[in-house]
Amino acid sequence: MSAKTKAAAPGQKTPLAAKIFLALVALYLLIPFATTLIYSLFIEWTDVLPSGFTLRNYAELFGNMTFWASIGRTLVLCLVSVVITIALLLLAMYVVVAVNRRLGRFMQFVCMIPYALQGVILSIGIISLYTGTGTVLSNRMMMLFGAYTILVLPYIYQGIRNALNAIDAQMLIQAAEMLGCGRFRAYVQVVLPNILSGILVSSLLAESIVFGDFVLANNIAGTNYQNIQVFLQANMARSSGLSSAIVVVIFLVVGAVTAAVLKLQQSSARKA
Amino acid sequence: MAVSVETQAPAVSSASAAGAVAAAPVAGAQTGSEPAAAERAKRPQKRRGWTGYLPFLPFLAVVIGYELLPLAQLVGNAFIGKESEAFGLENFIKVFTTPLYQQSIVNSLWISVVSALVGIVVAFLAARFAYESSPRVRNAFTLVLNMMSNFSGVPLAFAFMILMGNSGVLTLLGQQWGIPFLADFDLYTGEGLLVLYIYFQIPLATLLLLPAFSGIKKEWREAATILKATTFDYWFKIVIPNLMPSILGTLSVLFSNALAAYATAYAVVMNNYALLPLQITSKFKGDVQIDNATGGALAVVLILLMVACTLINNYFTKRASKGREIV
Repeated sequence: MSAKTKAAAPGQKTPLAAKIFLALVALYLLIPFATTLIYSLFIEWTDVLPSGFTLRNYAELFGNMTFWASIGRTLVLCLVSVVITIALLLLAMYVVVAVNRRLGRFMQFVCMIPYALQGVILSIGIISLYTGTGTVLSNRMMMLFGAYTILVLPYIYQGIRNALNAIDAQMLIQAAEMLGCGRFRAYVQVVLPNILSGILVSSLLAESIVFGDFVLANNIAGTNYQNIQVFLQANMARSSGLSSAIVVVIFLVVGAVTAAVLKLQQSSARKA
Repeated sequence: MAVSVETQAPAVSSASAAGAVAAAPVAGAQTGSEPAAAERAKRPQKRRGWTGYLPFLPFLAVVIGYELLPLAQLVGNAFIGKESEAFGLENFIKVFTTPLYQQSIVNSLWISVVSALVGIVVAFLAARFAYESSPRVRNAFTLVLNMMSNFSGVPLAFAFMILMGNSGVLTLLGQQWGIPFLADFDLYTGEGLLVLYIYFQIPLATLLLLPAFSGIKKEWREAATILKATTFDYWFKIVIPNLMPSILGTLSVLFSNALAAYATAYAVVMNNYALLPLQITSKFKGDVQIDNATGGALAVVLILLMVACTLINNYFTKRASKGREIV
């Protein structure tokens, strides 16, 4: 009987229909990127097969200072906004864990709003609030950092909260207090070291979200502060060879971050 | 809330998000620490008064400044009439009577519904087959899903232009080989956008549905066979009803994912297509004059649709996790 059942046991053979269907879906998903990759490596592709292998597009891209500038800006945006968000959330979470648990509800609600709203609403809300106020707040960079901080809030919040729940932070702080340690010191010296690995995964995820963002960068900063996605969009009509190389580079970077996240998740799942 | 972790960009953790990690927010979170909280409440609040709350302030300031106030600003814009400058529904009346905006709402709903439905059907089959596969095949397939779920927005739009644009590889092949579907395919229309949207829905939908299949016990199949159920009965009377909360929850995530998608559409058609996110953005940033009032009203329409999706998703996520506990 059990040989006939459908659930996959280790070592069980994959049915042929399943193999074919999964292969078709995987193929469908891979074709657009594969095409772009091939396109970036050849001079022309007007027949069935492309002709004239070349690395010209990559040489041109890597010699382009605007490209490096946009990569630099993107990295600054990624690092600074994710670090700000982590710092804000860790401080706020101290209050929830050690001072007043009831704030947790409010925090959860506020941190989940960006999920529901996403980039378009967030960006135009910020523009219409601050543009033309003539203060430091109307600075495009300020707006952009603020927007990214909010954009990654749900992801990092989720990571920190899960990590805190997993180690039972409240108990640790109470125990430390009984031993004569202050609450804040207990939080910094006992709780934080224990949740670092949990924060790492969600921060990496957040990095790849900021790296892949086009909406906020285009709506708030536009050409004033081109990130890599805006740079790609600006070049799309001009040179398809160059653009295909940019797409490949973006995909490889995000792919590497994704692989790191999956690896970390797997190893933490194995530990648990 | 649980499933919507991945709505926009990378769906890296969605395998865990739909299952264990994020399923807790509403139900599971508080229960464990209830006694500790009660004990704390009994204790007199002697130590710190307000200074204990200081670390909360930076977070509060940023959230108010960049999340709550901007939202309030949009809603405020929406209710102050453009012509009359008085509080009222003037902007909404304009939005629902102007053909361009009507069309934008209809197009957005249409493209979101169709792409979500196609996405869920493909995802259901893919998740089912992946679940029946050996771990090696399943892991390889999940890796492809995770990688390709990042392939969205401007890069995806560009790849499809190379593939199916005016002088795209497939378009040229279609012309040479006389395949009208490929030769005459126009990426820069609603149908073209639909193809793109379906593409980015599939990996997300499959990643969200996969964990749900682990709730299907193999004994059910045996029991059903013993009770003389046909294969049709087994799928449509046992498996699909059982997975319904997950399916509907995923569907609402897909719907809102398509509704709010901006980068992909903008990269393909710029502002030359009646789509809600494109129209909203063009009101605030644009070649034309800035129109906070109409833009605000359009934004409120989008916000309401998104909030409805989130509520629906929350409802089904709770149902799904409840159902699993019983089993």
